[in-house]
Amino acid sequence: MRLDYAVIIGKREYLARIRTKGFWIATVAVPAFIGALVLGPSLLMSKTSTEQRLAIVDATGTGLGRELKAALEAGEPAAATPGAQPGAMNTGGEHGANVTGAQPDTKTAPGEPGARTGGAAGGGRRGGAGHVHFSVRLLVQEPGRTAAGHRELDAMAQRREIGAWIRLDRDGLAANRFEYHAESLSNVITQEALERRVSEVVGRWRLRQAGLDAAKIDALVHPLAVQTVRISATGSRAEGGAAGFFLAFVLFFMLYMGILIYGNQVMQGVLEEKGSRIIEVLSAAVKPTELMLGKLGGICLVALTQMAIWAAALAVLTAPGLLAAMVAMPPELALPVLHPALWLNFFLLFLCGFFLFATFYAMLGAAFNSLQEAQQLAGLPAIFVVAPAVFMVQIINDPDSALSVGLSLVPPLTPLVMMLRIATRMPPLWQLLAAYGLCAAAIAVMIWVCARVYRVGILMYGKKPTLQEIWRWVRHA
Amino acid sequence: MAASLELRNVEKRYGDFVAVARLSLAVPAGVIFGLLGPNGAGKTTTLRMIMDILAPDAGEVLLFGRPRRPADLRRIGYLPEERGLYRKMTVIDQLLFLAEIHGMKRRQALPAVEEWLARVELADWGQKKVEELSKGMQQKVQLIGTVLHQPEILILDEPFSGLDPINQGLFKDLLLEYRRLGRTILFSTHGMAQAEKLCDHIGLISRGRLVLDGELKEIKRQASGNAYRLVAPIAPADLERVKALPGIEAVLPRDDGARLLLAVGASGPQLLRRLVEFLEVSEFRSEEPDLEDIFIKAVGDAA
Repeated sequence: MRLDYAVIIGKREYLARIRTKGFWIATVAVPAFIGALVLGPSLLMSKTSTEQRLAIVDATGTGLGRELKAALEAGEPAAATPGAQPGAMNTGGEHGANVTGAQPDTKTAPGEPGARTGGAAGGGRRGGAGHVHFSVRLLVQEPGRTAAGHRELDAMAQRREIGAWIRLDRDGLAANRFEYHAESLSNVITQEALERRVSEVVGRWRLRQAGLDAAKIDALVHPLAVQTVRISATGSRAEGGAAGFFLAFVLFFMLYMGILIYGNQVMQGVLEEKGSRIIEVLSAAVKPTELMLGKLGGICLVALTQMAIWAAALAVLTAPGLLAAMVAMPPELALPVLHPALWLNFFLLFLCGFFLFATFYAMLGAAFNSLQEAQQLAGLPAIFVVAPAVFMVQIINDPDSALSVGLSLVPPLTPLVMMLRIATRMPPLWQLLAAYGLCAAAIAVMIWVCARVYRVGILMYGKKPTLQEIWRWVRHA
Repeated sequence: MAASLELRNVEKRYGDFVAVARLSLAVPAGVIFGLLGPNGAGKTTTLRMIMDILAPDAGEVLLFGRPRRPADLRRIGYLPEERGLYRKMTVIDQLLFLAEIHGMKRRQALPAVEEWLARVELADWGQKKVEELSKGMQQKVQLIGTVLHQPEILILDEPFSGLDPINQGLFKDLLLEYRRLGRTILFSTHGMAQAEKLCDHIGLISRGRLVLDGELKEIKRQASGNAYRLVAPIAPADLERVKALPGIEAVLPRDDGARLLLAVGASGPQLLRRLVEFLEVSEFRSEEPDLEDIFIKAVGDAA
C-alpha cells in the first residue's frame, strides 16, 4: 500500500466530481429541499389559514350557539404565555372543585385525562397547527325537535354553500359530544380545532352555569405551556424541545443521505471504471487496494466539502436575527446551540458510516457489470440505515435506554443511532469510545474483504457472478 | 542477449481449469517479441501475471534481470486488451493523470503530452472531453497514455484489434521506433500475418503451454521444405484421402486446392506420386512456410 498513489487516485476522483454541475446543483438543491420540507409547512400554517364555512344548529335552547358563533368567529385565543398566571394552576378535571387559586406551588395538574379536550394541554402547543378561520351561520332550533331542517343543511353542504354543519343539543351535551356533518371527514386539522374550540366554549359555559363569574373563569382555565430547559455541562439553558428534535432530525437526515448517496456514488464510480474498461489500465500501475482507498478517500472528501458548504450556509443563516427576520419563529423553535463536540462527532460518525458502507458499495461495483446487476444487493445497506429511522422516536425520547445504547454499539447502526443520541443527550465517554472502536474494527474487516473482491472483480467482465463465486474470490484472492 | 523480462515456471489455475501451465519464457532486450496463440490460449492471463494484475499460483516473474519489484511496473507501458479512458475528463487531464500514476510529475509530463498530441495531430483537442472524440482519436489518446512515461518495456495485449488502418500504421511505426531505441516490446496477437511482419522473436502458446519459441528467422529456416502448394480440384471425399496419406501433417484447404504441411522427413516428390493417383494435379510446388503453418504444426506436435 503506497499512500502517494492512493492520493493521486483520490485527487483525480475529487477534482472530477467537484467540477461537475451535478455537485453544485445538489449542494444548493438539497438544503433548499430540506428547508422547504422542515420550514415550509409551519411557514404555510402561520401565513395562511383554512376557511371553514360552518352552520351551527343550536337545539339546546340556552343561547350556547350564539356564544359559540362569537367565539369561533373571533378566532383562536392567544397562545399561552408561560408564567403569566403564576397562581392559578389547578384546573384539572378531577380537581374542578378545588378551585382555591392561591396555592403557589408548582403542582402542574398531575393527572389530566379529562382536561386534554379542555384545551389546557393542547391549546398553546398546537396553536400553530390550527389556524382555522370560521364563518358561522347560526340556526336556533326548539329543544326536543330533531332532524328538522337537516336535509336542507345537507343540500347546502352539497351545493358548497357551507362546508359542514354541527349540531348541539342537550343529549349531546350530557353525553359530552356534538355532531359534525360534512361531505368529507378527512379534514382532521379543522375538526381538531373545532373540537378544541367547542370544548372550550362549552367548558366556560358550564363553569358559568356552576356559578363562577366570567372574568375569574378566564384566569382559571388559561392554558399552560411547557418550557424546556436543557441541562448540559456548559450550564442549563432554556431551549426548545422541538428544536432539539429538529436538530437531531436534521443531523440524522444529513448522515443518512450522505452515507447512502455517496456510497452509491462509489459504486457507480467503480462500475463506470469497469464499464469504460479503464480499470485494467489503472491496475497495471496502481494496486487494487490503493485504487479502492484512493477512490473512497476522494469521494469522502467530496462529501465533506459539500457538508462544509452546508455548515457554512447554516452558520450564516442562523446568525442571530437573520432567520428570525425571514420566518416568524415560534418561541419553542429557539435554535439549539451547536457545540464543537457535536460537530466533531458528526464528522467522525460520517467517516465511520461512509467507510463502512462505501467499502461495501465499492465491492458491489467491482463484482458486477451494471447498475441493474448490482441493484439487488445495493438495497442491503438501506436496511441498516432504515433500522435507526424506525427506532428514531424511541431513541430521541430516551437516548440512554438499553435499546438506544445497544443499537448504538452495532457498527452498521452506530453512525445514525449515535448521532440521534448525541444530538439528544451526550452519551458517556466509554460508550462513545466503544462505538468508535467497534466501527474502526468493522471498517478494517470491510476493507480487507472488499479489497479482495475488488482485486478479482474489476477484471471480471460478462457473466453476473453468483454469491458463491464472490465468496470464493474473498477466500482465494 | 540479456533478458529484460523472464517468466519461470509460471502457472495460473481457475479451479480445475489450467489457464497457464508451467510457462517459462525469456524476452531478450531490444526485440519485438510476439506472443502468439488462438483465443483462450492463455496470452492475456500471462501478460496480466507479468503486470502483477493477477498473482500466479506458482513460478516467478523477473524484470530487468531480477525478481519483479512493484516500482519496476512503472517502467513498463502496458496496454490491456480491454482498454478505456475516463469519458468525462479532458484529453490533457486524462494524459497527465496517466503520467502521474506512472510516477511522473505533472510539470514534467505536460510538455511531453503537448508534443505527443501534436505528433498525432490532436493538438487542438487537448481541452476536449474524451467522449467528444471519435473512436480513432480515442485510440490515439490511449496510445499516448501507454508511452508517455517513456517505458523501457512495452507490453501490449492484442494492440491491433479494433484499430482503424491509420492507427494500425501509427502503432507499427511506434513499435519499430521503439526497437530502434533499443527498447523491448512484448505483444500478444492471434493475427499471424501481423506478427510475421513485425516480430523478431515469437512464442507460440496453446492451451496454456508454450509450444514453440525463438527467433522468427531461425524458426522459419528450420520449418522450410515442409510446406507444399497443391493446385487441383479436390472433392470432399478426396480431401479425406489426402489427409490420410503417410507423411501428411495437416491439410489447409484453399479455393483452388490446398496447402499441405509435411511431417519431418517426409518427401514432397513421393507425396506427389500418391496424389496423382486420384487427383487432377495441375500444380505442386514447395512453399516458404508461414507462421500459421508453423503454429499448426507446433500445436500438432505438442498434442
